[in-house]
Amino acid sequence: MEKIIIIEDEQIIREELTNLLKKYSYRIAAPENFDNIVAFILNEQADLLLLDVNLPNYDGYYICKEVRKKSDIPIIMVTSRDTDSDELMSMNLGADDFVSKPYHSQILLARISSLLKRSGSTPAQSNILTCDGIQLNLANARLKYDTHEIDLTKNEMKILAYLIENRGQIISRSALMEYLWNSDYFVEDSVLSVNVTRIRKKLEEIGIKDLIKTKRGLGYIIQ
Amino acid sequence: MTIKNYLNDKVVFLGANSIGFLILAGILFYSAFNTTLILYTFLLWFLPLTSFMILDYLKQRKYFKSINTLMDKLDKKYLLPEVITDTHFPIGDEVNDILKVVSRDMHEHINFYKDNKEDYREYIETWVHEIKTPIASSKLIIENNPNETTHKIETQLEKIEDFVEQVLYYSRSNNVEKDYIIRSLNLKHVITDVVKRNAKDFINEKIKLELDAIDTIVYSDAKWLEFIINQLIINAIKYRTPTDAKIHISTQTHENSVTLTICDNGIGIDEKDLSRVFDKGFTGSNGRKLKKSTGIGLYLCKKLCDRLNLQLSINSKPGLGTSVTITFPMLMDHY
Repeated sequence: MEKIIIIEDEQIIREELTNLLKKYSYRIAAPENFDNIVAFILNEQADLLLLDVNLPNYDGYYICKEVRKKSDIPIIMVTSRDTDSDELMSMNLGADDFVSKPYHSQILLARISSLLKRSGSTPAQSNILTCDGIQLNLANARLKYDTHEIDLTKNEMKILAYLIENRGQIISRSALMEYLWNSDYFVEDSVLSVNVTRIRKKLEEIGIKDLIKTKRGLGYIIQ
Repeated sequence: MTIKNYLNDKVVFLGANSIGFLILAGILFYSAFNTTLILYTFLLWFLPLTSFMILDYLKQRKYFKSINTLMDKLDKKYLLPEVITDTHFPIGDEVNDILKVVSRDMHEHINFYKDNKEDYREYIETWVHEIKTPIASSKLIIENNPNETTHKIETQLEKIEDFVEQVLYYSRSNNVEKDYIIRSLNLKHVITDVVKRNAKDFINEKIKLELDAIDTIVYSDAKWLEFIINQLIINAIKYRTPTDAKIHISTQTHENSVTLTICDNGIGIDEKDLSRVFDKGFTGSNGRKLKKSTGIGLYLCKKLCDRLNLQLSINSKPGLGTSVTITFPMLMDHY
């Protein structure tokens, strides 16, 4: 489990962000006191730093600069200012990425996970999702079950991965569509149905039946 | 200053002198003085008087001529008192002094409003940044409590975000130069970001999206461009047809330019409204029908495009749809 430090002075955002990231199984350190913050960050040995720009005492730019002197921990700057010059400033001070408020949390999560992957904190293993003996490799869209191995299309893989990640929850069609759109797959309603049907067919061919259940009027679920 | 004007001004002075002379001439005549003497008197009286007037006229003419030449050369006429040269006669000096006082006072007056406006702009910027924090926390709360109700609230929250952004760009639109960075950017990234921002509307309203050859490099500012394209897509969504709505986004590369076209099959714009859609506050018949137009979106787009040296044009047929085109010049020395 990767550890993320959240430096954010707004209490509600800090708490909700902590909850959100915990849900996606990250370990969190979110200090409420910003004295000696640089020493705190260096001490924590975390894998990633989410750093707000507007802070009491020292601003995020200063902290970023100081941390960079001693550590190459991946840093994502978060700010409500959104001009190019703010972004440029962050990059010049050694931040790895820049997200402006109010961000879409899926986008923030995607940036966190891609940055962690790039920095090598996430082991390659985490590219594989497992569910009832099924192994879904997200890197090459191959699915293993028993001795069988099949290829999925990118769309199909995304859908299946999202349902597995949210196992036990009913996922509405619109939530699934939104997830796909946020991953750059601008599919239509009818295409989603076709994709789900294809996944079921492919799964049946290798002997997996009724993995994805349809809840009428509500959506899909993997139990 | 013409001779006629000058003489008109001096009519009382000349009249008084003439009357004075006529009375004197009458007295001399009746006292049986020689007519030659009367003529000499006339010359003695009027020769210095007219030469004084001619000199005076020339001086005044020179003064006003210099002012007029300055005025013609000046781009900003109100700067005249700053460049005006010293004269060597009292009326000119006095007028110059008055002009200087008036202009100084006017500058103070204008600065007062400039400061006011700048204060207000700064306040709006701060306000926008402040409001983003509660919006961000609300979105996180929603994310942590997913259900149908919070999903609906999120859709509304995204609308609030768009309006807040519009306020920010409106207040910035007068000094775009302050924070734009022109650099090479791929239209594909800007367009997909905007599409994602509006994903909920596309999905819920079942609007078909077609992207065609959008993988194109242009030179512009990403943030401003994203705002402009977002406004155009919001419009295309807002004025869609109730069934089978479709939005087609494409780019074309020409010899000296790249064009980006956003085409919809929506309700379209009346021909008589089309020429005025970029006017501030203009809502047209669509605005009256739908009652949710502010007349700000397209006005801002046009204004920002002008500032960014982009060309924005619109075509529409009522009932068939609207197509908006942004033209990016591709000559690098343009900037």
